[in-house]
Amino acid sequence: MADYFQEMGWQPLSEGQAPNHLLHFARLFRDYNIFDESLTQSLAPPASKSVVENLPSITINGQGVKCPVCLKEHSEGETVKKMPCNHTFHAECILPWLAKTNSCPLCRFELATDDEDYEAFRKEKIRAKAREADIEILHNSMFS
Amino acid sequence: MANIAAQRIRREFKEVIKSEEVAKCAIKVELLNDSYTELKGEITGPPDTAYEGGTFVLEIKVPETYPFNPPKVRFITKIWHPNISSVTGAICLDILKDQWAAAMTLRTVLLSLQALLSAAEPDDPQDAVVAKQFKENIEMFQMTARHWTNVYAGGPHVNKECDDKIKRLVDMGVEEHQARVALSSYNWDIERATEQLFS
Repeated sequence: MADYFQEMGWQPLSEGQAPNHLLHFARLFRDYNIFDESLTQSLAPPASKSVVENLPSITINGQGVKCPVCLKEHSEGETVKKMPCNHTFHAECILPWLAKTNSCPLCRFELATDDEDYEAFRKEKIRAKAREADIEILHNSMFS
Repeated sequence: MANIAAQRIRREFKEVIKSEEVAKCAIKVELLNDSYTELKGEITGPPDTAYEGGTFVLEIKVPETYPFNPPKVRFITKIWHPNISSVTGAICLDILKDQWAAAMTLRTVLLSLQALLSAAEPDDPQDAVVAKQFKENIEMFQMTARHWTNVYAGGPHVNKECDDKIKRLVDMGVEEHQARVALSSYNWDIERATEQLFS
């Protein structure tokens, strides 16, 4: 059985460290579904600069694949940027987009951002889902 | 207009024209100027909804930063729907705001609007009066939406009762559309509508 901190994904305060009241408020709001709405309503922040810089470039071989942003077909031998979700774009098409928001224009796969608040929020969301799944498993193991 | 936006609209145009939805007459786009900045869209009301049989015209303005920013779309045809302003035609739809993605196209926008007509989101309203009616009296809402579709979008369902009530107000000197809005907003209660119009 995981301990309390592990289960919540939190860190115990270290010596001399003050609690982060803002974070506690954020969690409180999250638990009462107060902020879901306001946060999902605004555009997600830009992708992290280092992640964007490290996006691999690949050379197209074969035909028939279009860049989803400008809709031009990639030509044989052309160099394009490849996202972790395997979607390919012209550099001049994907870079302005990732400077605006962090997701793949085609499938909304999210890249990391440099925005600490957003990353914390995203981590919390993933954790909340995992917790739900854990409870479900626990429930099923008791009642099936 | 920035080159990338114009080029992309040109390509999309071909895509829409070739698409099977156009073949089925479900959606349509037309250019209004040579610079690809203003277009006219058209969608048909989805079957089995109050909008069935109607044709809805949309104003589409393409920003210079397209496709990195969404096109500006509003209904020109008057429509009774919780997420569309019955006054201005302004639309409340996430993909036209913060959920826009650069891979979306005029075709997917028009199809999303058509989907919005069959699945309203009354909890995220653009028109509070319509949304309230939708939540409290869905049959009244359906009847009103069908009547508006008949009058403004060429829908087939004539509602004589609505027409008669409007005519009574018109005979009192009220402008027809104003009479329709007042009656629609007060669940077709002619006394309350009259009261509001003459107060």
